[in-house]
Amino acid sequence: MPDAVLQARGLAKSFASPAGPLPVLTDVSLEVFAGESVSVRGSSGSGKTTLLQQLGGLDRPDAGQVLVREPGGRLVAPHASLGRGVGFVFQNYQLMPELSALENVALAARIAGAPALSADVAARALLAQVGLGARLGHLPAKLSGGECQRVAIARALVNLPSVILADEPTGNLDERTGAEIMDLLLGVVAARGAALVLVTHSREFADRAGRRLVLSGGVLSPA
Amino acid sequence: MPWFLHLALRQLFPPGKRFPAFATVSILGVGLGVASLLVVQTVMNGFGEEHRLRIRESFGDCQVTGAATLENPEALAKRLAARPEVASAAPYAEGPALARQGDFSGVAQVRGIDPADPDQPARKYVHGGSFDDLDDGRVILGVGLARALRVRIGDRIELWSPAMAERAEKGKAPLPAEFEVSAVILTGFAEVDNAAALIPLRRFRELWNLGPRAHGLTLRLKEPARAAETAARLAAVQPGLRFRPWQDFKRDFLEAIRFEKTMLFFLMFIITLVASFSIGSTLFSAVIRRSREVGVLASLGAARLQVVALFGLQGLLIGALGTALGFALTWTILSCRDGILGVINGCFGDGDMVANVYQFSKVPLYYDASDFVIAAAFTLLTTAIAGLVPALWAAGRRPSEAMRDA
Repeated sequence: MPDAVLQARGLAKSFASPAGPLPVLTDVSLEVFAGESVSVRGSSGSGKTTLLQQLGGLDRPDAGQVLVREPGGRLVAPHASLGRGVGFVFQNYQLMPELSALENVALAARIAGAPALSADVAARALLAQVGLGARLGHLPAKLSGGECQRVAIARALVNLPSVILADEPTGNLDERTGAEIMDLLLGVVAARGAALVLVTHSREFADRAGRRLVLSGGVLSPA
Repeated sequence: MPWFLHLALRQLFPPGKRFPAFATVSILGVGLGVASLLVVQTVMNGFGEEHRLRIRESFGDCQVTGAATLENPEALAKRLAARPEVASAAPYAEGPALARQGDFSGVAQVRGIDPADPDQPARKYVHGGSFDDLDDGRVILGVGLARALRVRIGDRIELWSPAMAERAEKGKAPLPAEFEVSAVILTGFAEVDNAAALIPLRRFRELWNLGPRAHGLTLRLKEPARAAETAARLAAVQPGLRFRPWQDFKRDFLEAIRFEKTMLFFLMFIITLVASFSIGSTLFSAVIRRSREVGVLASLGAARLQVVALFGLQGLLIGALGTALGFALTWTILSCRDGILGVINGCFGDGDMVANVYQFSKVPLYYDASDFVIAAAFTLLTTAIAGLVPALWAAGRRPSEAMRDA
């Protein structure tokens, strides 16, 4: 068994509410290995997005610990590894509207410290891989939803992260495009040897992951 | 180029939009503020400089007087002219007289000058006739005085000096001195143009019974701006004489101009502040609108300082471009100032307001580099702060908030 690229132990998170603290995650532990795909399903409000925030370092858990293996092999806290050890794919793509497809992908590489030229080369290669080699200069407003999500996937992968965290990546797409995006996401992530944690409410897409989990009552359990 | 600068430029000037609303309005606002500031400053400088120049040309860089009239002014002038800080020295005499031509008369401020002096300031202002024609029988008049007396070049006028009144007191018939008008001068300084009558010093001495004496000396200094220090130095080596630097003449007036300029700077600066506030509030709206993007940038690994730079730079860029536009507008407005003044006079004024009120025939200008530097520095500072406040707010957001939004 290879080393885990993502380790979460005893995660707990609650939010303040007028009625007192509202627990969302109570005791979540998870290990994800390189090349593995894991789906997390759950009803609305079950804490799927909160879980991704803790795993990706966008928020700190109240208790527990998360570690991410950076491409160099070092285990670090995820907030220290944003953009390098962890890549995100959002439901609404979240591309910069003023930047072209190429610039959006290159931006992630530039933020991670890559020189402009190598960021440009890597972005071109990834966009070609996701089937957008002919639409490099297009602004997000000139791309379809599926194309925007392809750009977002390329952006998440450009820094060769160990883990991709995808939050409802097909939520805004029609069924056929959603299926295409899932194919692409699973294929590209596997080809790059990264791990994928996929949050979705779709049973169909969740079932395509190598390991299927359900989040309910603040606890993760096998589906 | 750092990524945040690239993104700041793209957010300010999105591709495909020639005049993006936020950037265009903000830059225009700052540009107008800077232009207002600099136009006022440059015109106020012009007024100040013009007054200073007129004062220097009317009174000299430094005036030398004694307790009484100077007994041997030529020798004293020679001694003082030999000093390293003095460019030239010339005796002068001056006094009021009644000027008359037929049924028209006026009060003339008569000044005895050396017609052979090549540095005589009046040479620059000859409006008609010839300065070199000035001799014992001729006079140069200010254009306003000539108009009041209804005379032209070649006409004759009479001058009645106070010494003639003394003759009358002694029972002798006072005879006026007759002069032919050899030239008229137009300095644009109404105080001079409406009263000046220049005659040779030798002739003045005759008419005022001065003998070889003079009322004083006018000195031209090599460094007129340092006239006060030079005057103090000369006074130390020439006790008994009074050395008045040009800054002492109309000191209150010059102080008033300086104070007026300072106050106008602060009043006009409020316009720039208002423009900066509007940038701040618009940037705040933009930052709130882009809060998801801020969260996404954080998820891509952007440091807080880089997010601050992204939005702070937008304020700074607006400030820099607005300042450049303000400089260009200033130059354009000032180049068209006479036309603009004509329109203002036509709409609100009664005749030439500048000549009537400020005694100049044109709106004077003086470009002072320090005004431009100060205006640019203040504008950049305020617009940078205007951009920085929303930038700090954006950078302070937790990425999870943005991701939840996303």
